[in-house]
Amino acid sequence: MSVTPVGADARPARWRAGAGRVVAGTALLTAVALLPWLSGNDPALTVLRARSADQDPTPAQLAAIREQLGLDEGPFTHLAHWLGGLPRGDAGTSWVSGEPVLPQVSTAFAVSVTLMLGALVVTIAVAALVCARTLHLGSRRRLRQGRAGTGAAVLAALPKFLLASLLATVCGVWLGWFPSQGWEGPRSMVLPALALGVPSGAMIGGLLDQSLPAAFNEPWARTWHAYGFRSGHVARHALRRTLAGVLPQLLPTVVALVGGAVAVEKIFNIPGLGRLALDAATAQDLPPLQTATLVLVLLGVVAGLLIQALRRALLGPALRDGALPTLHAPALPRRRSTRRVAGFCAVALLTLVVAGLLRDPLHVDTAARLLPPSAAHPLGTDSLGRDLLARLGHGALRTASVAFAVTAVSTALGLLLGMAARVGAGLTEVVSTLPAVLAGLLTTAVTGPSVWGAALAVCLVGWSPYAAQTAALLEQERASGHMLAAISFGADRRYLLRRHLLPAVLPSVLRNALLRLPTTVLVLASLGFLGLGEQPPTPEWGRLLSENQPYAELAPWTVLGPACALVLLSVLAVSGTASGRGRARGREKVPSLQK
Amino acid sequence: MRTPSRGLFAALALTPLLAGCFVSDSGSATDGEGASGGRLRVALAVPPVQALSPYSNDATVLSKLSVAEGLTALGKDGAAAPALAKSWTQKNATTWAFELRKATFQDGTEVTAETVVGALDQAGKAEPKPRVLSDVTLTAKAEDADTVTITTKAADPVLPLRLASPALGILSPKAYAKDGTVSPVGTGTGPFEITKLTGKSKATLDRFDGYWGGKAKAPGVDVTWIADGTARANALRGGDVDIAEWIPTAQAKLLDEDTRHEVPSVRTDSLVLNTGSGLFTDAALRAAAREAVDGGALVDSVFGGYADPAQGLFGPAVPWAADDRVEVTGRAQAATTAQVESKTKGRTLRLATYTNRAELPEAATVLQQQLEKAGFTVKQDVREYTQMEADLLEGKYDALVFSRVTLLDTGDAVAYLASDYTGDGVYNIAGLKDSGVDQAIKSAAEEDDTEQRQQKIMRAEAEILRTDAVVPLVHEKVVQGIATGVEGVLLDPRERSLVDVDTRVK
Repeated sequence: MSVTPVGADARPARWRAGAGRVVAGTALLTAVALLPWLSGNDPALTVLRARSADQDPTPAQLAAIREQLGLDEGPFTHLAHWLGGLPRGDAGTSWVSGEPVLPQVSTAFAVSVTLMLGALVVTIAVAALVCARTLHLGSRRRLRQGRAGTGAAVLAALPKFLLASLLATVCGVWLGWFPSQGWEGPRSMVLPALALGVPSGAMIGGLLDQSLPAAFNEPWARTWHAYGFRSGHVARHALRRTLAGVLPQLLPTVVALVGGAVAVEKIFNIPGLGRLALDAATAQDLPPLQTATLVLVLLGVVAGLLIQALRRALLGPALRDGALPTLHAPALPRRRSTRRVAGFCAVALLTLVVAGLLRDPLHVDTAARLLPPSAAHPLGTDSLGRDLLARLGHGALRTASVAFAVTAVSTALGLLLGMAARVGAGLTEVVSTLPAVLAGLLTTAVTGPSVWGAALAVCLVGWSPYAAQTAALLEQERASGHMLAAISFGADRRYLLRRHLLPAVLPSVLRNALLRLPTTVLVLASLGFLGLGEQPPTPEWGRLLSENQPYAELAPWTVLGPACALVLLSVLAVSGTASGRGRARGREKVPSLQK
Repeated sequence: MRTPSRGLFAALALTPLLAGCFVSDSGSATDGEGASGGRLRVALAVPPVQALSPYSNDATVLSKLSVAEGLTALGKDGAAAPALAKSWTQKNATTWAFELRKATFQDGTEVTAETVVGALDQAGKAEPKPRVLSDVTLTAKAEDADTVTITTKAADPVLPLRLASPALGILSPKAYAKDGTVSPVGTGTGPFEITKLTGKSKATLDRFDGYWGGKAKAPGVDVTWIADGTARANALRGGDVDIAEWIPTAQAKLLDEDTRHEVPSVRTDSLVLNTGSGLFTDAALRAAAREAVDGGALVDSVFGGYADPAQGLFGPAVPWAADDRVEVTGRAQAATTAQVESKTKGRTLRLATYTNRAELPEAATVLQQQLEKAGFTVKQDVREYTQMEADLLEGKYDALVFSRVTLLDTGDAVAYLASDYTGDGVYNIAGLKDSGVDQAIKSAAEEDDTEQRQQKIMRAEAEILRTDAVVPLVHEKVVQGIATGVEGVLLDPRERSLVDVDTRVK
C-alpha cells in the first residue's frame, strides 16, 4: 500500500495520536474492570445466577463463589492479574464456566468479523446503488437537480432487527432459500449480512451521494469533460475524491457491527462477539468481558489506521502539499418533489400525532388483542389490545425530542472532538467499536436506573461517527489552497473556523446526523432492559418496535406502523433540511454552476 | 496509484479466507438435511454455561437427552422410580440402602458401589453446592459391590426423590478432574453418549450400545442451542430441527397444529407482594390487590391460551395438588377503592418484573391497569433479572410479577415453600414472616409419609395464601415443537426429560 509520507511535524502528531489511543483504551478497560464494584451489584450473585437459575442465593453459597473467584481482592488485583497473563496468551478463565477465555473470544471474534465482512460487501453494493444515479449523471455533466436522498433515508431508517426478522421469516422459513438460523457455512451468512448491510449501505451511500456533486463541480472535472475523457474515468476520480471523506464512516457503521450486532446475532443464532460480550456483561463475568473489550478496542484502532492509510492513498500528495481544491457543493436547484415529499411527511406525521393524541395509549383491552386495522383502530391493536395509533401519537413527541436532543449533543461533541483531530482520533477509534450496551452498563453502574440514563449512554458513544467525519473533512479543508490564502491575508483562527472550517464540515455532518436519527431511536430503546430510559407502559417508538417484534409475523401491522412512522420522521428530517438549505442558498445568490 | 475499487476487492478477497471461521460447526454440518440417517435434531433453549457440568444449569440437559442417570428417576406420578438403583430400602430414619443394577459407563467401565460413592462424594464437595444438597448432608458408603448405603445427618424423607436430581447423576470416575470440573462427555450411563461439545452452540450425541435398558431407537442426537424463541420456532418450521423446546407463546400459533404439543408446566406465575416494607405491609391493601388482580384475563391474551388460570401455588402439573387442596380461610378484609386511595395517599406502587421471560412485562401492564382500577397508583420497573435481583431480595419493590418453578430439583414442593415463604427463607422476596406459615411448612418438611406430606404441603399453601403475600396468576404451559415424523418424545411437566430410548424419526 502506498502510504503517502506525511510532513515534518508528523512525528510528534503521530505520537500524540498514539498516546490518545493508549489513554482511551486504558481508561475504557479500567472502567470495565471496575464495573461490578461501581454498580454495587454483587458479582457473586450474578455469577451464581448465570451458573444456575434455581440456586438459592444463601450467604454460604455467595461466600463460596466469592472465595473461588477471589472477589475480595478488589478490582485492581484482578486487572493486574489479567493484564499479566496477556503476554503469555492467557486471558484468564471465565468466572461463570471456569473455561479459558481466549479460545472462546477468538472464535466469537472470527465469527463476528466474517459476518462484518459479509455486511461490508452488502454495504458497498447498496451504497453503490444509492449513488449510481448521481455518479452516472455527474460524470456526463448532466447533474442539473439536487437530490434530497429520500430513498437512502428510507433504507437507512429500517431497523436492523426488524429487517432480520423479516428476512428470516420470508427467505428462511417461507421460501426456504437460505437457512433461517445457524452459522454453518457461507449460505447462512447471506441473510444476516443483508439485514446488517442494507441500512449501513444506505447510510454510506447517502453521504457519498451528497458529496459527489461537489466533486463533479471541481475545475478538473469540467476540464476533463471538455477534453473528452471517458465518463467512467471522471466518475472514478470523483469517487476517489469523495470517498476519502466518507470512508471513516465505515468504522462506526460497519466495523462496529463486530461487537454491536447483538439483536441480529440473536435472531439468526450466530455465536458472535456481541452476544458473548452481552452475556458476560449481564453476568458480570469480567475476564471474557475485558478480553472482548480489549479485542474491540484493538479492532477499532487497527481498522482506524487502515482507513486512514486508505484515505491518504486516495487523496495522494495533494493532502500533504496543501494543494487540494476545495470541495464545496454547487447550488443545484432542488427538485420540487423534494419539497413535496417533505410536505407529505410533515402532514402525515402531524395527522398521526393529532389523531393519536385524541386516543388513550395505555388502555389495555385483552379482548381486542392483535386486531387488524379497522375503523375503530385505524392502525390495529397490539398484543394487549392497546390502540397502536394512540401509542404512536403519544410517543411521537417524546421519541422525537429525545432523539433530536441526543443527536444534537452527540453532533456537538463530535464536532469538538473531531476538531481536536490528533487527540480525538484515538478516542474516536476506541469508542467507535464500543457497543452501546456496554456504555449503558457503565452508565447504570454509575447513575443507577434512570430516565435520562439511556440518553446519557447513547451520547457517550454516539458522537464517534461525527468526530470521525469532522476530522476527515477538516483535514481535507486545511489542505486546501484557499485556506492558505486566507491565512496569508491574516485571518485569525476564529475567522477561519467560522468562515471556512465550519461551513465546510457542517452540511455533511448534519446529513449524517439526520440519517442516523432512526438508529438513535432504536438504540435508546434497546437499553430499556438495563432500566435506562422511560419504563413501560409509556409509549415510545423504539419500544413499540421491540415489544411488538415477536408478533411481526402473526400481526405485521404491529411493527409496520411504528416502522413507517420512523421512516416518515427520518425522511422528513432529511428532505426538510435539504429543501430548507436549497432555499437559503438560493437567497445567497451563489453564482450558478458553470456548464 | 491504487484505485478505491482495488482496495475494496482486497477486502472482498478476504471474505473466503475468513470462511474458515465457520469451523465451530463444520464437524456436524456435513450430515446436513435429510441425510441424517434417523438422527434426531434437537433445538434446546438454554445454552450450556459450564460445559454441561451437572452442578450447574446444564444438569437438566443431561437428563433431557438421557445422557446421565442418577440412582433414581422421577416417575410420572412424581414418585421416585428405579434407575441405576433397581431397588432401595429405608433401614432407619437416616439410613437407606440402594441395590445397584448391572450397568456400564459409556467409557466401558462398570458401575460399582465404589464409583457411585465417588460420584456422590464429588457432588457433596462441589463449590458452590448443588441446589439439591443445600439443605442436607449425606454420606455414601459402599456396602458391597452393588449396594450403597446413604446416611443423612437429619432425617430426610425425600431422599429417593432427591437422588433423581440431574445434579446427582452418576458419572464415571474419569469425569471428575482434580480442579473440581466435571465433564459428562463420554462418561454417563444413559442410552446416548456425548461425543463432541462445540462451545455453547452444538453437541453431538451417539447411541451408547451398552445401555442396560436396551439400545436406543435413534442412532444419535444432534443438539443445537438456540436461545432466541423465534429462531427456535423458525428452525422447526424451516425443517432444520426435529424437536424445538419451549416455543414462545407468541410464536406457537405459527406452528402447524400437529407439530405443537402443550404440556402443563410446574411453573406458576404470581404477583408477589412485599409484606416486609412499603405499601403492602397493610394486609387490607394486600387483600385489595388480590381482589383487583385477575390472572384469568392473562390466559387468553398474554399467554395466548397456553396457561391455566391459577388455582393456588401448585397447578395441574402437580397431579395431587387439586385433590388435596385446602380452602383458604381467615383472609383480611379487602380495602375498598376509596380506602385504597386514602391509605396509599399518593404513594405509588412500585411494580417490578423482568424481561427474561417475554410474557411477564406484558402481564405486568395488564396487572397495572387492574390495580389502577382498584385505586392504586402504579409505576413499573422492568429490567433484566440479574440487574434487579439484589434489589428484589432487599425488598425495594412493592410487588413483583414472578415466574417460579414450584417443584425444584428435589421434585419435592417443600423446598420451594421453604426458600420462598419461611421467615428465614433465602429467596423470600415477599419478606413474609408469619409463624402460622413457618409452622405449616416445617411440619410438611418433617412428614415422611408421601400422602400425608402432600396434604401438609397443601395446608401450607392455604396458610401462605391466607397472608396474601402472593397472588397466583396462572400456571404456565410449555409448548414443545415436534416435527410430525418424530415419535416417542417425552412431554414432561418438570422439563427434565425429552428424548429417551424410544424416541425416533419415523
